[in-house]
Amino acid sequence: PAGPGGVAVPRAGLKKLALPPDYSGITMPEKPKLKFMDKVPAVPKVQREPRQLRDIRGPSQEATDFTQGQYGILALGGGYLHFGHFEMIRLTIARCMDPKSMFAVWRVPAPYKPVTRKSLGHRMGGGKGPVDHFVTAVKSGRLVVEVGGRCEFGEVRPFLARVAQKLPFPAIPVSRESLREMRREEEEKRLNNQNPWTFERVVASNMLGMRKYLSPYDLRLKGRYWGKFFLKHRV
Amino acid sequence: MAALGGGGTRWRRAWLPALQLLRRGSKAVTRHWKAMHFQRQKLLALTEYVSPRPAVPPRCLPRRSPQEPQEDGYARVLRRQAEQTLRDSRMVAVCHYNPMAEEDVATLRHYLRRHNIHLKFVLNEVMRPVLAQSKFRELLPLFVCRNVLLVSPEAPAREMLRVLKGVPHVTLLGACIDDTILSRRGVENFSRLPSLEVSQGQTVAALSLLSSQTSSLLQRGPAHLTALLDEHIRRLQGTGGAPETPPGH
Repeated sequence: PAGPGGVAVPRAGLKKLALPPDYSGITMPEKPKLKFMDKVPAVPKVQREPRQLRDIRGPSQEATDFTQGQYGILALGGGYLHFGHFEMIRLTIARCMDPKSMFAVWRVPAPYKPVTRKSLGHRMGGGKGPVDHFVTAVKSGRLVVEVGGRCEFGEVRPFLARVAQKLPFPAIPVSRESLREMRREEEEKRLNNQNPWTFERVVASNMLGMRKYLSPYDLRLKGRYWGKFFLKHRV
Repeated sequence: MAALGGGGTRWRRAWLPALQLLRRGSKAVTRHWKAMHFQRQKLLALTEYVSPRPAVPPRCLPRRSPQEPQEDGYARVLRRQAEQTLRDSRMVAVCHYNPMAEEDVATLRHYLRRHNIHLKFVLNEVMRPVLAQSKFRELLPLFVCRNVLLVSPEAPAREMLRVLKGVPHVTLLGACIDDTILSRRGVENFSRLPSLEVSQGQTVAALSLLSSQTSSLLQRGPAHLTALLDEHIRRLQGTGGAPETPPGH
């Protein structure tokens, strides 16, 4: 602002005070910290299961939206979580959060799937190995933990990012708004894509005999998933 | 196989390339990034996302000015207070304020309070809309830098000027006294005016002067005649004898 004589006059305006955030609709559960997850289920399976890697492949159908908390860790790829991961998550979050004002909730079950290992140094053959440990399968788009309470995303994001980095699949901390924003952007990209050739169009109508080189699952996955990986940049 | 190959119909074993492809290589889901078939790579390259390109680039369009921030509740309260102050006071003097020590401000406030003048620090961004809507529109150009308002329900201009003369930090810019906008000089002239009672008396005297003159004006003719006659009588008395008084017409 120029004052008399053309000299810029510094001006301090009225301080705009922001209203404090409204935490009225938040109920804290009795146990705010994360529950301890067993290494082995109470009734361990004796029958050894086939590998079934399809529980890693593709988008997740369960636990894709928030239930109790406001912030969480979203998995952007498929993978298995074992007891070590569970302990890491539990202890890191317990250390970094304030149990009086925040709470955390698991969105994945305790390890249930038995994974077999053959003992070291043996040749192939001799049957399937014994059960070594148990894991939980996580698909892309699933929430691993949810954090809520009287806190802001900025407070929660640093330690959630640290936890997300240590997981065996790519993961990011999200909030309700950021997840909604992500979904909206994906939808927008899908709608305003100027390319007339889309993966699903080519696969659905088997143009150029492409299905010879693609899997029947690609009809459903539409080129966004490859193995356990989620290709975020693809529309 | 010999068991299958015989019989009447010889049926060709179908060779499904998908099945053949499955026999070599790793499973579908691997820990590592599985190498894609080249045809698949070409398909993915073909079906990549192409972002929309508007005919006019957005940087050539006029930039939208940032929207006016929402009305602040605190600003609304301050504005209401300012409106009330302006409505209640008879005299509003605008002064430029240079920073001075807290105790000096307190002393100034004390001296002004003695004459029932209130010192008010105002924010320009709060005062500007208030002034624009009220009758003090002419005072808008005065609110540039740090300002201070001296408001009072009566108009003690002389005392205010005396106090402000002793404080070099506060400079009087202008005032609005009794719905009259005065400059600095105008305020000085206003202070030199006599008080209300004296001026009322002067007005009454000026008005009654004419009526008092009227009676003397009417009596001037006969008074003049009387004086002339007296003079004549005196002259006649001086010469001798007592003549009858001449008829007075």
